[in-house]
Amino acid sequence: MPRILIVEDDDHIRTALRLMFEGEGFSVDDASTGELGIALFSRMASDIAIVDVMLPGMSGFETCENLRVQSDLPIVIVSARDDTADVVLGLESGADDYVTKPFVPEELLARVKAHLRRRPDKSTNAFSLGDLQVIPDEGIVRHRDGAELHLTSTEFRLLTDLASMNGKVLSREDLLERVWGYDYFGDSRLVDVHIRRLRMKIEPDPANPTFLVTVRGTGYKLVI
Amino acid sequence: MRRRSLRLRLLVTFGLGALVLSSLFASLTYIGVQHLLVSNRQQNDLRQTYANAALVRNTLYTSPPELANLLNSIQNATSSSVLVQTHHQWLSRSFGASTTDVSPTIVKTVIAGHAIEQTLLSKGRLIFVVGVPIPAVETQFFEVFQLNSLDHTLRLLLLVLIAGALLTSLVGISGGLWVSRRAVRPLEEVSLAAAMIADGALNTRLVVTRADREVQRLTESFNQMVSRLVERLERDARFASDVSHEMRSPLTTLATTASVLQQHREELSPAARESLDLLLADLSIFQSLVEDLLEMARSDAGAVPLVMETVPAIELVRQSARSGARRHGIDEPSVLVEKGTGEPLVSVDRRRFERVITNLIDNAHRYAQGAVAIRIAREGRQLAINVDDAGSGVASEEREQVFERFFRGRAAHDRGIARGTGLGLALVRDHVRAFGGTITVEDSPDGGARFQIMLPVVLEERE
Repeated sequence: MPRILIVEDDDHIRTALRLMFEGEGFSVDDASTGELGIALFSRMASDIAIVDVMLPGMSGFETCENLRVQSDLPIVIVSARDDTADVVLGLESGADDYVTKPFVPEELLARVKAHLRRRPDKSTNAFSLGDLQVIPDEGIVRHRDGAELHLTSTEFRLLTDLASMNGKVLSREDLLERVWGYDYFGDSRLVDVHIRRLRMKIEPDPANPTFLVTVRGTGYKLVI
Repeated sequence: MRRRSLRLRLLVTFGLGALVLSSLFASLTYIGVQHLLVSNRQQNDLRQTYANAALVRNTLYTSPPELANLLNSIQNATSSSVLVQTHHQWLSRSFGASTTDVSPTIVKTVIAGHAIEQTLLSKGRLIFVVGVPIPAVETQFFEVFQLNSLDHTLRLLLLVLIAGALLTSLVGISGGLWVSRRAVRPLEEVSLAAAMIADGALNTRLVVTRADREVQRLTESFNQMVSRLVERLERDARFASDVSHEMRSPLTTLATTASVLQQHREELSPAARESLDLLLADLSIFQSLVEDLLEMARSDAGAVPLVMETVPAIELVRQSARSGARRHGIDEPSVLVEKGTGEPLVSVDRRRFERVITNLIDNAHRYAQGAVAIRIAREGRQLAINVDDAGSGVASEEREQVFERFFRGRAAHDRGIARGTGLGLALVRDHVRAFGGTITVEDSPDGGARFQIMLPVVLEERE
């Protein structure tokens, strides 16, 4: 039974979400503030978290960052605003996905399930990117000097999926389908922000990427 | 009635005014000077005539035969002609003047013993006739002066005055030009700015220059008015956005609770199930409506800037069509590219462009059994993206209105179609315009409606 953490300050929404996820067979832990949510997470070891952005006290972004430091669990943020800046900020604070209110509950449910279904791809062979060694079957990226580089599961998946294409381009839609596991929701910003985050970690000069290359208007490819 | 332009009127007023005034001045000057010159001349002539008459009288007393010599010398000394009548006989007929110049009335008056002076026109020339009686010897002395030399001076004066009047009028006209430009230019600037604002360039303001106080005041109050108006518009847009924002949370609760009910559908009575279906259907409309309103408020308020990207158009249309069709769970229309289209690039906000295609496909799905095809063709520097359907088309009188907010055409009334938000096409138009493109609706080759997006092509991608 998957454990889901819901951090949402609106009592009605929180209760409704709890009922819905329980109806789908989840064990639900819910919290009305970020602080409570983090405390709950450290006790319950949730499999996935839904975090509202507008929280009293610690913001959703901070909560997100805090959870990310502790774990690789998938985090979906719920934002009341669809502004690109907000979405980007949310994703950069470590979230894997986002939905905006008013969301379609079935869509949120489908996304959560997709994240839980996702398993690390271990079929890709190990490869190296400059000074980095990517080892999919161990799920780690190691620097030549032995230090381990931390990637979230979404980032790792993004990297290995692109690697498996042997330099061919994957469109944003393809990536959404392969990495996030949805075929019809989510928008391209989700991909763009994750690519940027990944570049910050693996590229020697993230502003002028040499491995993770944008193909204008089409998508991205990985040059090994 | 079309009013004449203010500029023209000012010009004419100034020009005519200057002309009238300067003509009046010139005429008065002319008349005055003429009068002065003539009377001066006549005083001289009169004095000379009396002197000459005295000479004639002395000669007639002392030695009458000398008269002819005297008359000749007088005539040589002056420019006048001299006539003398004694005992009703003309004594001298001098050159340049004849006895006919002296009318019988003048002669009669002089015979009666009165001196006379008269200016008259004889044979087209102005002459001044002076008659002096010399009763002691029963003689009448006449002297006839030509005023022609004065004429010459006066004509010169007239010429100078006319030139002056013309010059003054010219100065008047240029003064009018200057004044009208100065007075009219601010008006023209205001009307230009107003037109730009009406066209949607809301940040248009007049430049406050070191102009006349009135103009400065006009400029300032115009700018103030525009600022207030813009504030008002922004407040309205913000209000719409705030309202939609406030609906988000309760709507989320409603939708989630409804889906919880849906999970427990089996436990519900038939009536409750039917109610739930109605609830779910309308919730979904409500949700789309709020989403569309929010999207609209965002672009209205300009709160969310466009993220313009230069992308290959055909690939973009394909991807948008695919994700749009999937989003609404409808069949994906085929994307047909006309020969010779090449690989054009367009500059768009990717997310909004997706929205445009999605809404058009959804619209065709609702009102025309789905889009038959999306046809792409190059038209000069524009790219035509046609979303074609085989429905009943859009009536020609509705072709503008379909893009208006909450417009419901005949197609929406005719059949029991699943209701849309009434904002889909309005959003499409807003977005397309933001990309610098246009959207129109016409007949499609499939017999239905063709929604045609025209986007400027950025440049050809090198293959």
